[in-house]
Amino acid sequence: MVLKISEFLRPEAIIMQMKSREKIAALKELVDNMVAHEAVENGEEFQKALAKRENLESTGIGDGIAIPHARTDAVKDLILAFARSAEGVDFSAIDGKPSHLIFLIASPINKKSEYIMALAKLSRLLRKQEVRQLLKKASNPEEVLNIIKKNEE
Amino acid sequence: MKIKKVILVLTDINDQDITQAAVQLCKRFKSKLFVLFVVETGRISRLARLTQKKSDTLRKKIEDEGWQLLYLIEDDADKAGIWTSLHLEDGIATTIVKKYIDAYGVDAVLIKRKNEATRLFVSSTVPVIGL
Repeated sequence: MVLKISEFLRPEAIIMQMKSREKIAALKELVDNMVAHEAVENGEEFQKALAKRENLESTGIGDGIAIPHARTDAVKDLILAFARSAEGVDFSAIDGKPSHLIFLIASPINKKSEYIMALAKLSRLLRKQEVRQLLKKASNPEEVLNIIKKNEE
Repeated sequence: MKIKKVILVLTDINDQDITQAAVQLCKRFKSKLFVLFVVETGRISRLARLTQKKSDTLRKKIEDEGWQLLYLIEDDADKAGIWTSLHLEDGIATTIVKKYIDAYGVDAVLIKRKNEATRLFVSSTVPVIGL
């Protein structure tokens, strides 16, 4: 099965300038945006699932990236969201640096393999420095999507 | 006995069979779990020669499998209430593990019993547990 991250990320789930500076507020901003665009049915439950994960692990993976994620039935299908923060958000990354590129992934509980594959693909994609640089410079959601499409394998 | 921070070292998708034991050990000792998958550069060259496949293709496959394994472990550890931190690095496992021991103050190394474990047993400054 070939999973394409770009197929699960919609332009309306992309926030080019995140306002929040703190982790829980940043998650709320992402979730609220997804609720507003009807990608998530139960925003409160979804946010609780994400916060629970954040307490157990550092989803800030270093190099200015955070990938908060959760499996929860608050979502109906595998979904992705993206936010960019100029100031950075403290996601307790192991390198101590704030996260500027924040990708959120969620899937229903019964879609574990898709969820794991999406996390793996995204992590591999974001290890590429040139992709991180392009995402930092992108000027609109369509450009973000094109960068992902061009660089995912 | 206290083991605050443990590093589980993986170099191969076949190392999956030791992950449950690692999670159980962390649960028992209430340890934080660092999970490190090393994409071994030497192994990729050897595999490329043996299989006649391109190194780059093999690297992508191993890296993808590595990330999948890391997130599978995280999912298990999460259910057990264990704090985790995932890492994927390119290079030589023994060298990278030593770097992690120094950087994060790891108390013990968990590794599958094979050649890398033997090398770590003799050179590590913290206990190495072969699973």
